[in-house]
Amino acid sequence: MSWDVLFAALTLTAGYNAAVVAVGAALLGASAAGIGTFVLLRKRALVSDAVSHATLPGIGLAFIVMTAFGGDGRSLAGLMAGAAVTAALGLLAVDAITRRSRLSEDAAIGAVLSVFFGAGIVLLTIIQTMSAGRQAGLSSFLLGSTAGMLFSEAVLITVASAAGVVALYALRRPMILVGFDPSYAAAAGYNVRRIDLAMLLLALVITVIGLKVVGLVLIVALMIIPPVAARFWTDRADRMVLIAAGLGALAGFVGTAVSASAHQLPTGPVVVVTAFVLFCLSLLAAPQRGLLASTLRFRAFEARVHERQGLLAIARGEAVYDRFTLAVLRRRGLVRPDGVPTLIGRGAAAAALRDEARWEAYRRLEPGSPLLGRYDGLTPIETILAADQIAELDRRLALRVAAP
Amino acid sequence: MAAGWRAEAQAARRQVVATTGMIADVLRQVGGNRIEVRGLMAAGVDPHSYRQTRSDIALMTRADLVAWHGLYLEAQMESFLETLGKRKPVVALGEAVPKADRLAHDEYADRFDPHVWMDPRLWRHVALAARDALARLDPAGAETYAANATRHIGELDALATYADRVLASVPATRRILVTAHDAFNYFGRAHGYAVQGIQGISTESEAGLRRVQELVDLLVQKQITAVFIETSVADRNVRALIEGAAARGQNVVIGGELFSDAMGADGTYEGTYIGMIDHNATVVARALGGEAPERGMSGRLSTPVVIR
Amino acid sequence: MRLSAPRPQVIAREGQVVEAIDTQSPLDIRGLSVTYGEKPVVFSVDFTVPAGGMVAIVGPNGAGKSSLLKAALGIVPRLSGEITVFGRPIETARGRIAYVPQRSSVDWDFPARVLDVVMMGLYRQLGLWSLAKGEHRSRALAAIERVGLAGFEERQIGQLSGGQQQRVFLARALAQGADLYVLDEPFAGVDAATERAIVSVLQSLVAEGRTVLAVHHDLATVPAYFDHVLLINVRRIAAGRIAEVFNAENLQATYGGRLSLQQLPELDRNRS
Repeated sequence: MSWDVLFAALTLTAGYNAAVVAVGAALLGASAAGIGTFVLLRKRALVSDAVSHATLPGIGLAFIVMTAFGGDGRSLAGLMAGAAVTAALGLLAVDAITRRSRLSEDAAIGAVLSVFFGAGIVLLTIIQTMSAGRQAGLSSFLLGSTAGMLFSEAVLITVASAAGVVALYALRRPMILVGFDPSYAAAAGYNVRRIDLAMLLLALVITVIGLKVVGLVLIVALMIIPPVAARFWTDRADRMVLIAAGLGALAGFVGTAVSASAHQLPTGPVVVVTAFVLFCLSLLAAPQRGLLASTLRFRAFEARVHERQGLLAIARGEAVYDRFTLAVLRRRGLVRPDGVPTLIGRGAAAAALRDEARWEAYRRLEPGSPLLGRYDGLTPIETILAADQIAELDRRLALRVAAP
Repeated sequence: MAAGWRAEAQAARRQVVATTGMIADVLRQVGGNRIEVRGLMAAGVDPHSYRQTRSDIALMTRADLVAWHGLYLEAQMESFLETLGKRKPVVALGEAVPKADRLAHDEYADRFDPHVWMDPRLWRHVALAARDALARLDPAGAETYAANATRHIGELDALATYADRVLASVPATRRILVTAHDAFNYFGRAHGYAVQGIQGISTESEAGLRRVQELVDLLVQKQITAVFIETSVADRNVRALIEGAAARGQNVVIGGELFSDAMGADGTYEGTYIGMIDHNATVVARALGGEAPERGMSGRLSTPVVIR
Repeated sequence: MRLSAPRPQVIAREGQVVEAIDTQSPLDIRGLSVTYGEKPVVFSVDFTVPAGGMVAIVGPNGAGKSSLLKAALGIVPRLSGEITVFGRPIETARGRIAYVPQRSSVDWDFPARVLDVVMMGLYRQLGLWSLAKGEHRSRALAAIERVGLAGFEERQIGQLSGGQQQRVFLARALAQGADLYVLDEPFAGVDAATERAIVSVLQSLVAEGRTVLAVHHDLATVPAYFDHVLLINVRRIAAGRIAEVFNAENLQATYGGRLSLQQLPELDRNRS
């Protein structure tokens, strides 16, 4: 792999072809991830896999029909139209099977996926024996072939992605609503079935567009991996869509650059691997939900709990035996290396005990208060209540202590 | 009675199944009407990715002789043909080309570039091997086969001379052949041309972006004005190459369509080996600025080769 | 024991019998039947929800209570029946109904904050294109405060307790600003404080002149919380004001003798 070619590709200066592919792959990645987020939230990821596999017989049939009528069997528009038709049929088949028979959705998906895909392979095998027309290039729809991306194809991807984005924006509220709470959506008057179909049709359009770039086997990966990665970065559905689109675009762009910098690296699969790398990075490094962050947070939490327990023990005059607790207390200068509490430690212990007492007093004073939900054994009550409320609690505590 | 004799004559014809069109053609030329040849791959079919179908298998198991090209051209059929070879006569005619004359594969150690038909002088070995295989199968026809082979080799020699002549008329600086895949290495060696394919020796390999970039650089550097598409391979990569060169100001056109891994349509002149090579040489020579008759070697090309 | 009411019959608040379809009624159900496959779960039920009432739907498990609600609102398909909302077909009056589903019907891992879920109540009014403005956000925040979740707007819904989740659903319905509130087992699995809070909100809604209809699972608290009740066990058993209808005879008919007298609310606080 050549590093300067990689750099050039990343800055779109590695040549016209790489630039065309990079932009096309980035747009495809963004729109696929965008619609993929909703598909994922609605738990229909496998249906979109069935839809993508159902494009294959359509490609074969379109080729056969076009050649039979004397045309050029490899016209991209015709092939994509054929792909869209059988993919739509596959989608309707899954829907019909699920609703009208007793089969569950995953059984319907499995059936449709394998039957349609198998029919497609049969058609491709038949086509390879046809003497009419030039058939080479049809199997490139399986894994994509980007090296030969033409400007016209990039334009098609751009236009379709833009239309997809507009449709996504228009349907974002219904799709979020249906994804989260379909019964509420139905009660509010939304036609849940139609919204689901619209969502999957949008996924279908993106699938057909992406056939030439990453191929039908991998387009689902491009739809699902970026949203899954995005989930680690946010807790809000609207932001999740945007982050997923960004990650998808990044995967498309960087993946293309990497494949342009080395020999024998097919672009489609490299884009998917790049998306996976982004997922791994998100899993590990995302703040809040990433593995690293949550591990660190848990360790910090653990330490705080031990510290609190240790301080309470000190305040009650009990000995602290737990080694981890002692280590934490030592680290924070609350006990001496020999286990004896320092001055600061004793002060902190007294404060902890007082805090516990105040919470107890508050619980007795206002048992129904929602603020009690904030008690977790660590949060000091001064951060929850106002000074005068705390003064009131202290007064009552003093009274109780004073009473015989 | 006459009908009975004719039927007997028919029945006496040996059934031969050939994989590629070129192999089928050489067998027809050498075997004449003593054999009946069925080809599996029609015009425009890519042998690198071809998988035998059920009816293909049925044909092959019923044939008296199965002839294939070998040299890993029919990559997907190799294990089947090797198994079949244990039960009936199966011969890899392409492998008759002596090892010393073959080009090594640029990536694999003991593999060779299979596109030996591009050089008529190498193809004579195949004709001879066909003669021998048919003679083994049908000793009674040995003389006929020998005569046919000699005649056909004469045609091959004439073809080679013609190709040499027209291709040599191209100015030396323009003798660069850029095609969709690496099928023309023997062509290049035989006629002194530099050859570059977008895809590798097999069309199963995907063209990388890097490769396209390198070729764009080459086109610009050497100021190449014509590149070539192939009948059995998608032309998308070639068109992308042209776009890439255009973006850098180098105007490149498609010089013509070549027969690389498959011949032309059945029943046409280009549907024979001679016609295929004739067509290729004529198209390349005219597109790159050389001199060649519009209708090829003997004026038999179906469409006149017009320079765009 | 009355199996089905003769039509037309409506019990309005003042005890007057009104003819035909009651255009005052927030929800008028005629001849509703619902089947799952070939098994009837709701059979030919007539019911008119009294305007401004706090109505409980009560019956044994599997009696079709949830199905009745869902079918009336069009969430599941119905086999037969006519539904009118404030005198008009339900399709034209969606905005006046707010639905609070069961908590279990939702995956709480969905990426949304409390505020996002409550804003969903405004989606219908916002339509597809218009952006949410400050006033919409204020409406949502007001609803959140009203259910006692002030300060929780940014909390991820997966981090909420059961009671808090139920409050979020209620806040969503409040944000919508409807006239009829339909709740499916709003007190199932919530803590006592939440139950009190929700009852308080519902009662304040009724005080504003709105109507509340809820599937309720706890017989003991029916007289305390509600003023009307529909007793149902696939068929309508009885309906009307608590004082008139919520008695031992009707309860026995509803629960098919599975109820022992001690379980009647007047005597005991045990759950059924």
